Amino acid sequence: METLFAISVMVIKMAVVIGVLLALPLPLTWMERKIAAHIQQRLGPMRVGWHGLLQPLADALKLMVKEDHIPEKADRLLFTMAPIIALVPPFVVFVAIPFGDTVTIFGTPVTLYLTDMNVALLFILGVAGIEVVGLILAGWASNSKYALLGSLRTCAQLISYEIPMGFAVIGVIMLAGSMSLVDIVNAQSGWWNIVYQPVGFFVFFVAALAEAQRIPFDLPEAEGDLGAGFHTEYSGMRFAFFMISEYIIMVLMSVLMVILFFGGWHASLIPLPGSLIFLLKVCFLIWVFMWFRFTFPRYRYDQLMSIGWKVLLPLSLANILISGMFFA
Amino acid sequence: MISKMRGWIGWIFFLDMLNGLALTLGYMFSRTITMQYPDKQKWQPYSRHRGHHFLKTNDEGDLNCVACELCAKICPCHCIKVVPFEDHKGNRRPSVFDIDLSRCLFCGLCEDACPADAIALGQVYEMASYDTSDLLVGRDLLRTIPGKVEKGGTVVGAKLIDREGVHVRETKGEHDWWRRVWGRRNKAKVRLRTHHT
Ligand code: SF4
Ligand code: SF4
Repeated sequence: METLFAISVMVIKMAVVIGVLLALPLPLTWMERKIAAHIQQRLGPMRVGWHGLLQPLADALKLMVKEDHIPEKADRLLFTMAPIIALVPPFVVFVAIPFGDTVTIFGTPVTLYLTDMNVALLFILGVAGIEVVGLILAGWASNSKYALLGSLRTCAQLISYEIPMGFAVIGVIMLAGSMSLVDIVNAQSGWWNIVYQPVGFFVFFVAALAEAQRIPFDLPEAEGDLGAGFHTEYSGMRFAFFMISEYIIMVLMSVLMVILFFGGWHASLIPLPGSLIFLLKVCFLIWVFMWFRFTFPRYRYDQLMSIGWKVLLPLSLANILISGMFFA
Repeated sequence: MISKMRGWIGWIFFLDMLNGLALTLGYMFSRTITMQYPDKQKWQPYSRHRGHHFLKTNDEGDLNCVACELCAKICPCHCIKVVPFEDHKGNRRPSVFDIDLSRCLFCGLCEDACPADAIALGQVYEMASYDTSDLLVGRDLLRTIPGKVEKGGTVVGAKLIDREGVHVRETKGEHDWWRRVWGRRNKAKVRLRTHHT
């Protein structure tokens, strides 16, 4: 009975997480379009539903009924596999992410996370890296120069930015003395990590922008020079898979930043339930991501590389050194 | 020296990027300039606008047109067809007056050429149609097209009344927000310029 109960709680939690993640891109596209519009003094979608709220549903419907085109010269197996490979890792990563502390429902304590891994950070960085394989396969299998160039850029970009990102979190791990995200959050119940680790946060933020392939680092899909980058040849639902994966990665990066640097569900001043605070913080960071997107132009490819290797990497190393000397 | 220092400090703290972010943040919460055509608002063009033709009538309710065909002659697109006849009062009037709007370039030459002040280009611009045959407008329809209105150059309230073709009905209310937006934008430009020098 005990095990059955534990398993059913687990299954429900998984279903909720997957359902929310699958539905999340819908409001996010709406939000992105609205933010883009208002930055450009437009109104954005207004006609489908109240203030265009149903627009994402219409878009999803359109993507579903669109022709699912596979180019003649494409590698059919890899071409069909690639979107799925790109889609799965962002979902898997959320296994290790805590959304809040333990709450009590009907007298039983329920943890607001699926697992509390002791190597959660390592797991997240590792699994999130697999997503790139999907993008590379997509570029390779499309048999198109734009797609191939896009996936080459993805590849190079992610290699150069995963390293500073990994280094940036080392300072946080030192402060918490653990790689478990729950421990990291609990270590921030006083001051948030951003107070001790501003440089680490900066490096992580820039690397996260690059990882999520957002402007100013969206070279893999620079529409000006590459069509649409690695997903140039994709249409319909397969294209939607890439979009979903991209949005989930953006959510993931915001969630990670909240957990690592902004105290997770801790808020010293505001008396709100922890999970709500967590949600608000994540929303704010997503908004910042979008705000950046419609403010900045894109970096050139060589600038991207030199920022990664000549600025972020030394900065993150110096950050490790300094946090090692003063905090650990 | 100081300006150089400021440049370095700015570079380290990304002042230029922060400036950009502040600007877009301001825009994000500023008034939008979108005109919600055709659902809520519509642009009423200035009276000099050359839109849909209309035929003017005199006090007795007859067309001014004397079917001289000068407009048909001067039309660079050959899109006017006039066939004269003698009406019961003994006046020369058009029995057929067709304008093919799908070929018209709205140059207004027909209006200029007309000796009887009979034809003019009005402010109606909603001519979209699913069928090009709708664009062949005849004499009796041309009489009913509204002429020039005085309150040009404003945004008026409007409502889409059906979706077969565009039929937008004007509702009450005039808006001049777009004048304010333009005014403010020019002020902002001036401010930017003075800020930099
Ligand atoms: S506006 Fe110009 S093109 Fe159109 S009917 Fe008159 S003369 Fe012809
Ligand atoms: S509209 Fe004017 S120019 Fe044309 S036929 Fe009539 S009177 Fe002549």
